Amino acid sequence: MSTMSTLSTATAGAPAAATTPSAEPLLHATDLVKEFAVPGTGGLLGRADTFRAVDGVSLEVRARETLALVGESGSGKSTTARIVARLMDATSGEIVFDGEPVTHAKGERLRRFRSDVQVVFQDPYSSLNPRHTVERIVTAPLVYQGRKVPGGTTAFTQQLMERVGLDPDHHRRYPSQFSGGQAQRIGIARALAVSPRLVVCDEAVSALDVSVQAQIINLLRRLQREEGFSYLFIAHDLAVVRQIADRVAVMSKGRIVEQGERDAVFDAPQHEYTRTLLSAVPRIRPEWERARREAAAARAANPGPANPEPANPEEGTTA
Amino acid sequence: MSALLEVEDLTITFRTAQGPVDVVDRLSFTLERGASLGIVGESGSGKSMTSLAVMGLLPPTASLTGRVSLDGAELTALPESKVRRLRGDRMAMIFQDPLSSLNPYYTVGMQIEEAYRAHRPGVTRRQARKVAVESMERVHIADAARRVDHYPHQFSGGMRQRVMIAMALSTEPDLLIADEPTTALDVTVQAQILDLLQEVRRETGTALILISHDLAVVSEIAEDVVVMRHGVAVEQAPAERLFSDPRHPYTRALLDAVPRIDDEIGELRGIDSLDSAAGVGGKA
Repeated sequence: MSTMSTLSTATAGAPAAATTPSAEPLLHATDLVKEFAVPGTGGLLGRADTFRAVDGVSLEVRARETLALVGESGSGKSTTARIVARLMDATSGEIVFDGEPVTHAKGERLRRFRSDVQVVFQDPYSSLNPRHTVERIVTAPLVYQGRKVPGGTTAFTQQLMERVGLDPDHHRRYPSQFSGGQAQRIGIARALAVSPRLVVCDEAVSALDVSVQAQIINLLRRLQREEGFSYLFIAHDLAVVRQIADRVAVMSKGRIVEQGERDAVFDAPQHEYTRTLLSAVPRIRPEWERARREAAAARAANPGPANPEPANPEEGTTA
Repeated sequence: MSALLEVEDLTITFRTAQGPVDVVDRLSFTLERGASLGIVGESGSGKSMTSLAVMGLLPPTASLTGRVSLDGAELTALPESKVRRLRGDRMAMIFQDPLSSLNPYYTVGMQIEEAYRAHRPGVTRRQARKVAVESMERVHIADAARRVDHYPHQFSGGMRQRVMIAMALSTEPDLLIADEPTTALDVTVQAQILDLLQEVRRETGTALILISHDLAVVSEIAEDVVVMRHGVAVEQAPAERLFSDPRHPYTRALLDAVPRIDDEIGELRGIDSLDSAAGVGGKA
């Protein structure tokens, strides 16, 4: 069975933004708390001091939507993502996925959860085994699940590589033979291999050059349109979040201080911290931006030979 | 009178197993006293190598042709001992990661004092310490007289970068080069450090070269901008001209690719399309 193609045909043409709230969220986390012991405290008799990295976080991710979790370093956003993806256990709190409690899921149920929820990490090189070929990396989640690779390893890998804009002929190459942006595409292909319903992106575009970052953002948006899965998108970069999120939750010191529809949070932030965060973002002067856009529009309307325009403004596949 | 810094036809070549590679190719720019210049580019553009060349800090596998003059003195013709005297005195540099530039075993005060005394022989410890405290006050480190005796790990990332700026300013240099000074910092801290760099330039008259991958950061600081790609300056212009009327296709594509906080761009434009149009091998 080709899970990929059935999924994409089932959802083709569906709008990316599912702003209409469905009755049951895909993922529902309630009152998550994560405490870490402070090193050097505690001993035989005394209890160690604890630090609350996540302090009562509740969030929900609806089907087909992107919830962005933004915050500065130490805000607890990555820890929250790890708990939600079951890469780390919460000290307390509850996670419900698709109506089923998964907080303490084990064995078969955890395996099923792992195929429904995939993670894309910040540094593609350190999250891809350097000694494994693309083929082996991309099919690893299926092997871990004990599932058969539909259509055979090579054909399956090549199909996935094409979907993420990689040259399918490179299926036997190693991660080091790819650029950073291409390696991140491999990480995305691996996540897609098990047809997940939720993809957790932990700073997935933060380490990339701006031009590459734009391509990966486009790719993530297109895949969501085609596959209909949800994203929990962890990021510190508010401008990136604006490009991809339907809803935004702002974290500070382990708590969500503000949560809402993207435009509401960006255009009319309610919390003081959100306002501080937004005003700190460096910007190109609006009047310069306006002049540049007008000049570009004029060029597009009257293309002269002096201004050769790039041939294809679409998100390109990498060379 | 000549400009503070003149870079003329700077070419930096690395010897590699595959033969020589030019990482910077015939770069020229000038910087007046007290002015600010932004050098912007993606990874591999040669922007950091340019700053290392100005500082005389290129690795031994690199060779350089062209001319770099500071205040009329041709650095590229000076012996290393003379360049070393200028470095940290007339010109100073701060880097992305302040923690790796600071020695964890010494207090920040000792390190600022050491840097200062290296360029001011004959200065007493007491005088050097006074300079250290004053420099820390100038970069708004509260309670500088006490903090001067703290170790690097006792400072946050933003505060460490302030310490680095204090150290760079202790000798009142004519030129400060900041290489991705805010890239590792949170956005609120970044804003404070950028404000500080602006203030320092205004109050001390130190000229500033800001190296960054971030166009918005450069647009807030720099009077003039050089856009680099694959070692070549594809466009250089005053900031207003460059950002409101970019002329080179790469500058335009780069500006198109920047995600904006106040706008969702329908489809962000990548740069591959530009490469295929220009027949250049992309490395996305």
